[in-house]
Amino acid sequence: MTPSPGDWPLLRQLRGEDRMGRGAAARSRHTAGLTPRTAAADRVVKSVCPYCAVGCAQNLYVKDDRVVQIEGDPDAPHSRGRLCPKGSATLQLTTGEARERHVLYRPPHGADWERLDLQTAMDMVADKFVATRREGWEWERDGKRTRRCMSIAALGGATLDNEENYLIKKFLTSAGVIQIENQARVCHSSTVVGLGTSFGRGASSTLPGDLQNSDLIVLEGSNMAEAHPVAYQWVMEAKARGATVIHVDPHYSRTSALADMFVPLRAGTDIAFLGGIINHVLQTDSDFREYVLAYTNAPTIVREEFEDAGPDGIFSGFDPEKGKYDPSSWQYDGAFVAAAAGQRDLEGNVEGLADEGEGRDEAAAREQPKLDMTLEHPRCVWQILKRHYATYTPEMVERICGVPQDVFAEVCRLFVENSGRERTTAFVHGVGWTQHTIGSQYIRAASMLQLLLGNMGRPGGGVMAMRGHASIQGSSDIPTLFDTLPGYIPMPNAHRHEDLDEFVATTSARRGFWGNLRDYTVSLLKAWWGPAATSENDYCFGYVPRLTGSHSTYDTVMEQIKGTVKGYFLFGENPAVGSANTRMQRLGMSKLDWLVVRDFSLIESATWWKDGPEIETGEMRTEDIGTEVFFFPAAAHIEKEGTFTNTQRMLQWHHKGQDPCEEQRSDLWFMYHLGKRIRERLAGSHDEMDRPVLELTWDYPTEGEHEEPTAEAVLAEISGWNAEGEFLGGYTELKDDGSTSCGCWIYSGCYAEGVNQTARRKPAREQNWTGPEWAWAWPMNRRILYNRASADPEGRPWSERKALVWWDEEQGKWTGHDTPDFEADKPPSYRPSPDAAGPDAISGATPFIMQADGRGWLYAPSGVADGPMPTHYEPQDSPVRNRLHEHQRNPARQTYAHENNRYHPGPGEPGEGVYPFVVTTYRLTEHFTAGGMSRWTPYLSELQPEFFCEVSPELAAERGLEHAGWAMLVSARGVIEARVMVTDRMTPLRVDGRTIHQIGMPYHWGANGYSKGDSMNELSSMALDPSSHIQEVKALTVDIRPGRRPRGPARQELVREYRERAGITEMTGMAP
Amino acid sequence: MTTRAQVLELLDQGHTYETAARELRIPAGQAYMIATGLPADGSDAPSPEELAEKPVLPGSSQQLVNPPPFNPTRKQHVIDWVRRRAERDLRAPSR
Repeated sequence: MTPSPGDWPLLRQLRGEDRMGRGAAARSRHTAGLTPRTAAADRVVKSVCPYCAVGCAQNLYVKDDRVVQIEGDPDAPHSRGRLCPKGSATLQLTTGEARERHVLYRPPHGADWERLDLQTAMDMVADKFVATRREGWEWERDGKRTRRCMSIAALGGATLDNEENYLIKKFLTSAGVIQIENQARVCHSSTVVGLGTSFGRGASSTLPGDLQNSDLIVLEGSNMAEAHPVAYQWVMEAKARGATVIHVDPHYSRTSALADMFVPLRAGTDIAFLGGIINHVLQTDSDFREYVLAYTNAPTIVREEFEDAGPDGIFSGFDPEKGKYDPSSWQYDGAFVAAAAGQRDLEGNVEGLADEGEGRDEAAAREQPKLDMTLEHPRCVWQILKRHYATYTPEMVERICGVPQDVFAEVCRLFVENSGRERTTAFVHGVGWTQHTIGSQYIRAASMLQLLLGNMGRPGGGVMAMRGHASIQGSSDIPTLFDTLPGYIPMPNAHRHEDLDEFVATTSARRGFWGNLRDYTVSLLKAWWGPAATSENDYCFGYVPRLTGSHSTYDTVMEQIKGTVKGYFLFGENPAVGSANTRMQRLGMSKLDWLVVRDFSLIESATWWKDGPEIETGEMRTEDIGTEVFFFPAAAHIEKEGTFTNTQRMLQWHHKGQDPCEEQRSDLWFMYHLGKRIRERLAGSHDEMDRPVLELTWDYPTEGEHEEPTAEAVLAEISGWNAEGEFLGGYTELKDDGSTSCGCWIYSGCYAEGVNQTARRKPAREQNWTGPEWAWAWPMNRRILYNRASADPEGRPWSERKALVWWDEEQGKWTGHDTPDFEADKPPSYRPSPDAAGPDAISGATPFIMQADGRGWLYAPSGVADGPMPTHYEPQDSPVRNRLHEHQRNPARQTYAHENNRYHPGPGEPGEGVYPFVVTTYRLTEHFTAGGMSRWTPYLSELQPEFFCEVSPELAAERGLEHAGWAMLVSARGVIEARVMVTDRMTPLRVDGRTIHQIGMPYHWGANGYSKGDSMNELSSMALDPSSHIQEVKALTVDIRPGRRPRGPARQELVREYRERAGITEMTGMAP
Repeated sequence: MTTRAQVLELLDQGHTYETAARELRIPAGQAYMIATGLPADGSDAPSPEELAEKPVLPGSSQQLVNPPPFNPTRKQHVIDWVRRRAERDLRAPSR
């Protein structure tokens, strides 16, 4: 249309109200006709970002029952309205074209997908479940009752709602399925062990918003600015207030760019680094002595039988044949204490432990640990620590980590100067610490340092574990994990837990809140089995299937390959990209009878039978693969309601903005209706194996034409009620007489008074920085854990500057800026009687109330499988000899001997040098974990379109690599290709007299989606931390050379050729 | 164009941003922007000092520009269902 003179901007300006041209005159008629989608919407629905664990609050703008825009919620205390690129792309993720809308089905040996209607698919899966369960049923093993199904397994999901994970765990457990895992296993399981054994709870002790109060922030094993961008605003707030920020990492990233100091170190050597700082603090007496004496187990005397790891690197109690420790010699002198987390029941099949346990050995459990407040007794923890870390000198740190001594000295100085009464230091960590064969001990080392420096429980202090998925904290708490029941109650073990009394005797602690384990367990059993659970039948405790060892996701893969596991569910998880050794993942799935994949799009774990690497190489043929595959399109977070638990333990409710399309359904709908169908098929059965399923409480209210279960009812069950139908206010109201019901004791109170506390949205400016009335945090809405430790033993803040909670003598209660993580009316002067038990046995001056001795553990007498103190071992694959101990690798680590899981030779072993370069992995802001939620999203794929590796200019020159060219990377497991980025961000390190090159790679890519590339995890192996069963993907070795990788059969030929050159056998790398 | 002085005068008279905006025949969010220099949808990042100087609302301002929020915190049918569950599961004779 030809513009008229009246459209000319100058004339319009002169004729209109904005004669000076400052605003309205610059607006075209077209623009004037536009209305922002936010203004035209009918309503704003409160929601939460589905990506990482910061849990940024979102506003969904809804018009005509469809979501038309998504923005950040500016009232949120933790995110303040910000969204990162992923959060900003949520509308495209959820309403874009990439999502599947219909069920797809691949018949056995089929060449392609077929359509299958939803109801038929559900019926087929239910039929297969029933049949497979019966075929794989096991009543006992080794003469012990197990009552379980070993032929079905499930994986996922950390992006699911808590209510969904709850129903998955509840139903599958009732059906006897124990191989239930999710991303939490492969992500932060080491954190649960490390923090749990040190402090009493295995979750982040603080919130990102509290970092603004830090004087020093040390980010290590974390790329927070990249992986948790919105939370990083709090680090910047701290900087604006004068804090110093240090980033310790093998790879210079966006986090490093915003830090005051970047410390490059060799991947896999953080224990040596942290141990060096611990040694510095101990040798220079730079600890916060009053805090250490009062609040840690530094003064506690250890058994005479304990022997520290000497030159060989082995603690007392190691069985070299089994590769496991008997930890009984690590215990306190004259007293027995159980750990609050980690391996609380110890391995059921470790002989000699049958008589251990606080309930069994009543005499030992009743005794108080012996203390030496002078810290001079040779067997007190303090002296043990000093001896243990004496070899972690600055010289050794430089030699092992590649950190120059002057840089290390500066880090130590900053730590010491920013800790104590008046100042606090915070640690921030991610999976750079957890994903190692010694990962739990990484977290232990940081925890010890924070205890020594008095930083726990105080504003600006703590250990901030940055978890990675929207509700991975929730999927650990609820959990869809094999080894725990909701609230970190251990799954019972066949060898030790015949009945409830036995279970409580060997698992509970005599002192502290784990002393009420029976209350939590009975209340859970009542929630699951309702009226069927009575005192006469142990509240159906016998219905819970038993463990007989590790049944982690990696063990499940081995069982798939063996042919034991026939059916597999994937709930929003993509192991063909995200788990270690993706080849083994696909091999396992190729042995299944049936596979159910629930996701937004056709991820690699759904299509491997058609287009996986083994099809391309010719090792497998589609028509030979008998696995029957069902793909169910999943509903997005805007299409359902429920809670996510973010990294600061905060449960946030997200409401529904629109209905899902076509056959998309929530996982809540799927699990509930699958369970209904299975129960219908078992109805009338008199078989004892079916009673737990038939007697399960499974009658949630439903809504709408699709009969969507009411998620709020599930949350109410999780929170708990009493016999009068009154909602519980917290776990202190739970009882063991069957009069209370509670699906997860640590979440008790989240539905108090019949109000969905997780949906509270009081604006940030109306409350303090902890945001106590925004949503709800476990436990009992405490935002900073162990905050009793912010006051001295007399209940006064250590300093006014760092006041958090304190004792109010007039009111006779604890008060302050946070909900006290302590019994509100227990005075500092309270001292328990010798016979006191449970919480009554915790004095008024010991803040770690979940610990059996009320103290933070510098030394862990139990709970960690590979030692009471962190010790440096090299990663499974390492080009560097261990200079601290004779044993190269963690002697207690878990290994898997399989021709597709071969390890690399170490230094001094035949074939060393074939894989000389260290690889470490990381995230990018614009992509998300295994890519299922980013590689199909055009905005995000455009921002980061291609898989790449980062190499130093020196390595590029050595290997002839060109910037923007191609490189292939080879390990004993596989070969991949990546674009090359030559950059100073990767620093060659001087280690033990030679140069070590490191290569950095993101791990988001796979063969499907808009942005495609090889998967980094083709290179990694299955070698696990023995406590957490987590894989080592943060430090491995490869060779790198220019060019693209081979295609077809030549791909595996290359891998074989390398293995032959390295002389790799089934024994390579198996020795410690 | 409405001036800051006009908005502030109305606020001083006891108007809210919503009623002041109606008087001035402008959107409520625009009145807020004129008075404070900050967007009502919270998309700016003012420092605490800036906030202290301006006539910002004590809590949230997004209601000035957004459609009505949907955030119920109670569902009666859930409460009723819980009571039935408690009756059946916890008050039945064999507990």
